[in-house]
Amino acid sequence: MTPVLEFENIARSYKRGSPVLNGVTFSVSEGEVVGLLGRNGSGKTTLIRIAMGMLFPHAGSVHAFGVSPTKDPVAVKLRVGYVAEEQVLPGGASIAELIAFHRYLFPSWDAPLERQLLDRFGLQAGAKIKHLSKGEARQAALLLAVCHRPELLILDEPAGGLDAAARREFLEASIMLLNREGTAILFSSHYMADVERIGGRAVLLDGGKVRLDRDLIDLRERVCLAMVPQASAPDAARIERTPGCMRVHAVSDQWHAVFEGAPDEVQRQLASSLPANGVRCIPLSLEELFVELLGGRKGGQS
Amino acid sequence: MQLFVNPSDELPLYRQIMRQISEAIAGGRLKNGEKLASHRELSEQLVIAPLTVKKAYDELELLGFIETQRGRGTFVSDTPPRASRREQAEQMQETARRLLSQAYLAGLRFPDVVKLLKEADRELGLQRDRDQGPGKKEST
Repeated sequence: MTPVLEFENIARSYKRGSPVLNGVTFSVSEGEVVGLLGRNGSGKTTLIRIAMGMLFPHAGSVHAFGVSPTKDPVAVKLRVGYVAEEQVLPGGASIAELIAFHRYLFPSWDAPLERQLLDRFGLQAGAKIKHLSKGEARQAALLLAVCHRPELLILDEPAGGLDAAARREFLEASIMLLNREGTAILFSSHYMADVERIGGRAVLLDGGKVRLDRDLIDLRERVCLAMVPQASAPDAARIERTPGCMRVHAVSDQWHAVFEGAPDEVQRQLASSLPANGVRCIPLSLEELFVELLGGRKGGQS
Repeated sequence: MQLFVNPSDELPLYRQIMRQISEAIAGGRLKNGEKLASHRELSEQLVIAPLTVKKAYDELELLGFIETQRGRGTFVSDTPPRASRREQAEQMQETARRLLSQAYLAGLRFPDVVKLLKEADRELGLQRDRDQGPGKKEST
């Protein structure tokens, strides 16, 4: 199956010598939902702009439906829907005017879906963008991004700046589209609970590279945290060398080590391989995993 | 039946669904042969990915709790398994751990706990004898 979106060894820097992206490779398949995660400044938005042909990569290549978005932007945009992180719709235009403009651009415009979404979001077609709340403006942007029925939807921090209720409404609409259209979705987010709700897979950017690329259920069940009292294992390097260890860092008087494997497996493995007492292995939620992998020292190493 | 999921729970979402459905079956809130919400309905109701619902249903079907009938939907099995032994054992283990840590915190020692358990067992026995008459709502 040809991937819907494919990044190959993407590199990009804004300042010479300090790359934001430094060899990013992954792909999104048909109908797949991928959450793009990473700390602030890890390059999520840069990568998304590269996918949309708004930025050139300095190295590597990107293809959407096998086509380069910088070489043939029109062909790509006909099949992709995109909602940017910040408000980019012209404030003086009304929703109806923007809809008319998009309908003119996209022959595949789905008028019933447009009406359904207007209704669902409770948007007045005559309202000007500048008079909408942040949540409503984001909903209008989503409507404009999906009514041409794209095969791939790219959402940059769709929940950013929204209150909890508006976030949930946005999520509900995304789920509805997922059910109705089977659209593939790539979305960046800082809300791990949202990622867990709609995501199937998580791609974690760190240090300009893909640090983690895994099925969410697998992450939940096949990765755990081992807490080792520092008094019984004074040497972090020793823990780090244990097979399956993904990261070790200090949290008060404990070493926190992220390990490959289910908690009980890792518990057994460590009992035989690590001369330490009082080791406890527990499962992690996505949010905790994110903190354990990236928290503490900035740009944590593995 | 109303389900509820919480992404920051220790269990992954699909396991939360599995647990609530199997508990509802065991507790009689879901009757044998009753129809369940479709993947799509439940995914929109809980605001989670349809694939997550599918995963939960697939696993429940493997365990024999539910059956999918092509074109008709998903139903509670006519003969659902009783709560799995392993699950029960795990729950009991957890309860035992909690009991022991509370006892130790209260300054009791293991033999004291055993004595308490024996007493509790005797009381339950007496109660059972008393309750023999009216009968219990064991199976529905």
